[in-house]
Amino acid sequence: MPHPDRQFIDRGGPLKGVRVIELTKVWAGPYAGKMLAHLGAEVIKIESMSNLDEMRAYGGVDINSAPYFLSINQEILSVQVNMKTAEGLDLVKKMIAEADILIDNIRPGAMERSGLDYESLKALKPDLIQCSIKMWGNDGPLGYQTGYAPCFAALSGLTALVGHESETPKGMNIRYGDSTAGACAALACVAALHHRESTGEGQFIDLSAVETMTSLVGDSLFAWSVTGEVPESDGNFHPEMCPHGAYPVQDDGWTSIAVANDGEWQALCAVLKAPALASDARFATPDDRLANRLALDAELAALTRSHDAATLAEKLRIAGVPAFKSMSSIDLCTDGFLWSREAYRMVTDHHAGTRPIIGPSWRMSPDQAEVERGAPLLGEHNAYVYHELLGLQDEEMDDLIARKVID
Amino acid sequence: MNTPGALAGLTIIEIAERVSGEYTAKLLADLGAEVIKVERPGGAPTRGMGPFRNGESALFAYLNTNKKSVVLDLDKAEDRAVLDRLLLRAHALIDDHAEDWCTRRRLSQCTVAEAFPGLVHTVVTPFGQGAPADMQICRPINVINAGGWAYHSPSETPPDKPPLKGAGRFLSDYEAGIDAALCTLASLLRLRRTGEGQFVDVSEVEVQLNRIDCVLDRMLAGDADPSNERTAYDMGGPGTSFACADGHVFLFMTTRHHWKALCELMGSPAWTSEFREDWLEFDCTPPNVARFRENFEGWIALQEKLPITEAAQKAGVAMVPVNTAADLPRHEQFIHREFFQTASHPAFGEVAYPGACYRMSATPVLVRSPAPALGADQEETVHAAS
Repeated sequence: MPHPDRQFIDRGGPLKGVRVIELTKVWAGPYAGKMLAHLGAEVIKIESMSNLDEMRAYGGVDINSAPYFLSINQEILSVQVNMKTAEGLDLVKKMIAEADILIDNIRPGAMERSGLDYESLKALKPDLIQCSIKMWGNDGPLGYQTGYAPCFAALSGLTALVGHESETPKGMNIRYGDSTAGACAALACVAALHHRESTGEGQFIDLSAVETMTSLVGDSLFAWSVTGEVPESDGNFHPEMCPHGAYPVQDDGWTSIAVANDGEWQALCAVLKAPALASDARFATPDDRLANRLALDAELAALTRSHDAATLAEKLRIAGVPAFKSMSSIDLCTDGFLWSREAYRMVTDHHAGTRPIIGPSWRMSPDQAEVERGAPLLGEHNAYVYHELLGLQDEEMDDLIARKVID
Repeated sequence: MNTPGALAGLTIIEIAERVSGEYTAKLLADLGAEVIKVERPGGAPTRGMGPFRNGESALFAYLNTNKKSVVLDLDKAEDRAVLDRLLLRAHALIDDHAEDWCTRRRLSQCTVAEAFPGLVHTVVTPFGQGAPADMQICRPINVINAGGWAYHSPSETPPDKPPLKGAGRFLSDYEAGIDAALCTLASLLRLRRTGEGQFVDVSEVEVQLNRIDCVLDRMLAGDADPSNERTAYDMGGPGTSFACADGHVFLFMTTRHHWKALCELMGSPAWTSEFREDWLEFDCTPPNVARFRENFEGWIALQEKLPITEAAQKAGVAMVPVNTAADLPRHEQFIHREFFQTASHPAFGEVAYPGACYRMSATPVLVRSPAPALGADQEETVHAAS
């Protein structure tokens, strides 16, 4: 029986049989790999001691137990290759020749300098799908620039739309952006697999993280083109619903409420036991409520403040008014519904035995891909990749290790 | 315009009536699938949502590019039978209704799987299948509050200010649409290879949890403390938006190199000498951040966003303009990459459609046809199915 780390592991799932090589770091690139792995693809991450994914260093712990890295890279295989050697680069090319998809999010120009540009790789693997994730995409006057997620959100037009009314638009939380770019990269790769399936042709996918954020405000930008009105940050304002917002409750909490019609408005007033509000002429129709929304928000805030967030929201929903507690991180981590639906689940971990992870947002039936193994140790799958994929013998591999080509 | 789409040859039926499902199918239609949108008599709900011009919804026009439209009343047996005939020749069905709605129309997971074993059936809902019915009535603002992004946006929001809904009206729908489209395509690949369909259940709330994996999972695993703090997702540090002379800029700084470069950019005013040169790495306390911002605000308020951010980039400072909708179509990089595609719409004339964030060399994403008129493809589609 072959050694377990030399075996192909059949986890099922819709992307079973698809092999992905990733040259990725930090968040956007690894997240793309994770999405594909969670759908059943075999995803091989190329790393080396001299060129680690920074996430293995965050937290100042050892490179095999860095929390940031463990939280993203489940079901990823790790192979060590020192790409600063010519031999290492050759090995990488051999791996790519055995793969369906190559994903990178390294600095602009770095792939080209290593001879890993699409035209060169196409000579090795004519139907390769290559996806390159860059802040501004792979070309253009600003294509050389690199940046951080909050910068591309700002550049994209998204940040300008998020802020409390009449204040500087602060944008989404500073963490927003990287993972979404990774998800879009995964989507484009699978679309390209379809084209390859129908025609035999591979292709190059040039993904811009800035444009990812722009695509998430597409309807606002399109509306500007149609109407000429420049959209601005607008708090929780909704042009067709009122009340529409988050209202204060006990313990500095908040409950979101969205009312679209008179029936919901009357139900809201009934749950809040506010007959005076229900018959207040300022709030009689949807147009009245929108015209007087600041007064309405103040009246509502005074009424919601004494309630418990989750209890009030549930009462409202049962009365037909869309409402939900604004969930903090501790609310999310301890939510019984999310745990019972397996939004969170356990994977094996080399250190503590098991580790909870955020599971995929999807369930599939039948044939859901198994997600059971935590993030890999550095080089954990060297034997599988070098022996099974590239057909190297033990002595050859030992020699590569001794000469730090495998490092 | 003659380049093929990546999904040429795939037929997808959309019965979605919320933005999450409509966007899922838009992503697939823009990638070249034939998407047949089934609308209720009177039209899809988004046809009634603004903004409007010449009586047409811009929202609907955006969400339904490259789709076909048929009108069916799924409460009527005859029309419901037409849907079955459409499904017989389709590869996937996209829905976003709650379970009770689906069950009443014989469109539940089991019914569809039994009748169409070779169909991918994707349903995207606020909380996923099995959630209590009352939770599934949630609207986007409720969903983004349920998923945690509202509570933590913007960064550094004080406790007395409300959580925000995100950019525009539908951010959580778009995020969920990406995952739903990805899963549908993965499952369609399996269909090509095995001939078997699959049921795909996507939770809009769980998409938001997954997008914050390396922050929230560290809390789940005990590496960091979950809390009721509004700042629990934040990174600390001085990075934020600032008002400048003609708009806003966003500054991000984490290293001594960033600090040194910024000092030089500002001409090293006296107040900068009050900070250690490595303060961002080793002395980045809230009082220091506050002191920095107070001083920086005075300087940046006098600068214009384009020249100063261009100078900043050259100097190694990660400071960028906060671009508005009006800035983007005239932005050199967006122009170069042809992100916006000008195309004609019957009611709007020439308009600029935001494109896809992925440029695909063999199968570019294009607006091939504007959003359809209600029932525009009724005859051709229903006839072909019967």
